[in-house]
Amino acid sequence: MAFKTPKLKALAAILGLAAAAIAGPAAAETTLLNVSYDPTRELYVDYNAAFAKYWKEKTGETVTVKQSHGGAAKQARAVIDGLQADVVTLALSYDIDELHAKGKLIPADWQKRLPNNSSPYTSTIVLLVRKGNPKNIKDWGDLAKPGVAVITPNPKTSGGARYNYLAIWGWALQQPGGNDKTAQELLTKVYKNVPVLDSGARGSTTTFIERGIGDVLITWENEALLATKELGPDKFDIIVPATSILAEPPVTVVDKVANRRGTRKVAEAYLNYLYSDEGQDIAGKHFYRPTSEKAAKKYEKQFAKTKLISVDEVFGGWQKAQKVHFADGGSFDQIYGIR
Amino acid sequence: MTYSAVLRPLVGALALAGLASIALPAQAATQDEIETLKQTVRELQKRLEELDQTVEQKVKIVERKQELVNEDVAKKLKDAPTVTASNKGFSIRSADKDFEFKLRGLAQIDYRVYDGDAHAQTTGNTAVATDGFLARRLRPTFEGTLLGKYGFRFTPEFAESGDGGAAASGDRRNNRVRVVDAYFDVNANDAYKFRLGKHKPFVGLERLQSGSDIKFIERSYVSNNILPNRDIGVSLHGDAFDKKLNYAVGYFNGVADGGDNFTSVDDNTDKDFAARLFTTPFAGSGGNLEGLGFGVAGTWANDSNTNALPRYRTPGQNQFFAYASTVTAAGTRSRISPQAYYYNGPLGIIAEYAQVTQDVQRAETAASGAATNAVAAIGPTELKNDAWQIAATWLITGEDASFKGVKPFQPFKFGEPSGWGAWEIGLRYQENNLDSAAARFADNNAGTSGRAGYGLSARTWGVGLSWYHNENSKFLINYEDTSLDDVLRGAGTPTVLRGDKERFLSFRYQVAY
Repeated sequence: MAFKTPKLKALAAILGLAAAAIAGPAAAETTLLNVSYDPTRELYVDYNAAFAKYWKEKTGETVTVKQSHGGAAKQARAVIDGLQADVVTLALSYDIDELHAKGKLIPADWQKRLPNNSSPYTSTIVLLVRKGNPKNIKDWGDLAKPGVAVITPNPKTSGGARYNYLAIWGWALQQPGGNDKTAQELLTKVYKNVPVLDSGARGSTTTFIERGIGDVLITWENEALLATKELGPDKFDIIVPATSILAEPPVTVVDKVANRRGTRKVAEAYLNYLYSDEGQDIAGKHFYRPTSEKAAKKYEKQFAKTKLISVDEVFGGWQKAQKVHFADGGSFDQIYGIR
Repeated sequence: MTYSAVLRPLVGALALAGLASIALPAQAATQDEIETLKQTVRELQKRLEELDQTVEQKVKIVERKQELVNEDVAKKLKDAPTVTASNKGFSIRSADKDFEFKLRGLAQIDYRVYDGDAHAQTTGNTAVATDGFLARRLRPTFEGTLLGKYGFRFTPEFAESGDGGAAASGDRRNNRVRVVDAYFDVNANDAYKFRLGKHKPFVGLERLQSGSDIKFIERSYVSNNILPNRDIGVSLHGDAFDKKLNYAVGYFNGVADGGDNFTSVDDNTDKDFAARLFTTPFAGSGGNLEGLGFGVAGTWANDSNTNALPRYRTPGQNQFFAYASTVTAAGTRSRISPQAYYYNGPLGIIAEYAQVTQDVQRAETAASGAATNAVAAIGPTELKNDAWQIAATWLITGEDASFKGVKPFQPFKFGEPSGWGAWEIGLRYQENNLDSAAARFADNNAGTSGRAGYGLSARTWGVGLSWYHNENSKFLINYEDTSLDDVLRGAGTPTVLRGDKERFLSFRYQVAY
């Protein structure tokens, strides 16, 4: 046997140092990357600070959470293409499903891992108009009127835009004589009124508020409330349609990345903490609808009461909705192609 | 200027004209007609305002669309790979810097002159140096980074090197492409880095200096005759204490003194362990000792039953000692090497010592053919061979000296008005001393080849002048004078280094990027 004890000891020492090399950095400081959708910037700035403080007190470990924001579909594509996200907090489940379908980064049943189908908060879609509502917009049907400039992002890249689209479609179905044909005709007219298609919800907010383009912005409830809070209620009015859509932005650990980077434990804790009292309170403060009873009651006054339809009930779930409306050749392509 | 700004006065003028036309026959004008005209004016004004708003919106939409296009272009540019060509080589790098491919190169063309009696001869297949041109290094280097933490380097050699090594090292006319470096890196962080493949073991100080940055034509006896050149194995290395302490440990196939592992398969099952600690305790202090670095390195192996024993060479690459072919390694081989450098302004000093302790044995050789004397076997014997060097350089044009290259204050450009580049003078003294017992194992006692002219000690002083045209191009002149002591006087015609001295003048033009 050529190997001798001193050599084995030396080899063991080298391997030990190697193991320390791998284990060492993770113990000292952890960095997470949260890849999220467009309007959650402010929410996660506050939440990341709160979680870092909580984690430090609980474990003594320092954790730094980096954020990346953009249209949900674009963000999902980036993660599939290699963006090293430890967690994703996207606008809708379809985009996260893609991480399994195209990237094999997460298991198929990812949505069962956390409460409320992994959606720690919800929201809906409302209309933001200029002060005094000069175009007299009251409901979804008014968006199709000639001369009304509508601002909404591109459903191909933005999760919020897909909610906008389905909210209008769902409303059209509920109208007397409403069916898919009338819904598509309505959407055709609405998109004829859309002068600019931004890639994400925050871009559309910029178009409407900062650039002064358009008469009405279709946007997340939280984004509309934030805009009126930041810029003053004297500049905009929020119009809550009689019917809107329930938005359930889900979250998940990206298993392959978190396992490889050794961040799974802290990544899971990061998402679990969204359901804690503090996490729910931060969501409420940023105008997201908390899912916990306690926080929901605390913030209920800031949210308008309206009838909310769900994607599952009206459209048969996101997989079907995506295929029918937003996939290549879907209803959106037909509408936008003939505008 | 808006439409209304242009048209409003026109509307006003038309209204006044209308009123005037009915004012003249004032009596005929009715109150109703006046009201109608007023209403018309108001409607026109309203339509103008609407037109204003429409045009303003359209302009804003065009501007916003352009803004989005610009953002998209900027993002694409930001995400696009970067292609660079500079004095550091050529590279393609991803926007996030996690992926990179680099092409670099090193070319050294020498002209070497050997003076008088020291001129070497060529006999048979023995490597000897003669006057003439020599392509010393012709090395393209392909380097890459993957996912930020993983890297590779591949460097072939298109010039034969002749600087040590085992089986192939003796044949300077063996012009074949060989692999200099071929390794993978895994960099967990600054403190823990792994290197796997053929690379320089982290041992010799001057050996770790790039071949493009060495101050003399050839490295010293310490690097070329005692410590390993390149080997196949794995190293763990890194920096600690704010990069003031560098450590390395390694596990290798093992090579002879000064050797380069040319083959992918080891010739024995015993392996070499290597370790090194090097510190720059005053780095970043800003004081006179900022450029001081020192440390110690060593290797250890149980190197038995192999005849891959070293050959010792002068700076002119003439062989001055080789073991007989019947001599093999017979036990442990250990090397120890304290080392230091000091850089302060234009001054650079490098000092190194290395000792190798090697167990060897000699098999019996019977008298036959031209050999008239049989040689008896010699049992395992421990030999201690060592070498040391001290070299100082001075940049007379005032640039800062460093372990790496020189950046001239005023680069020299051929054929156009420019500066004179950087000029550096160097002085080096070095010795290589073999164990006195090594004589019993020398080739000249084999009784077959009758090698004479071998020495057990070589002392060399040298001077050098370097002219750095820019960061990539330089010209060197070296003169080195070597004296052999304890010269062996074996039978037969001296066929390697004739006489006891080597006077070696060399010129080099180098391009590195």
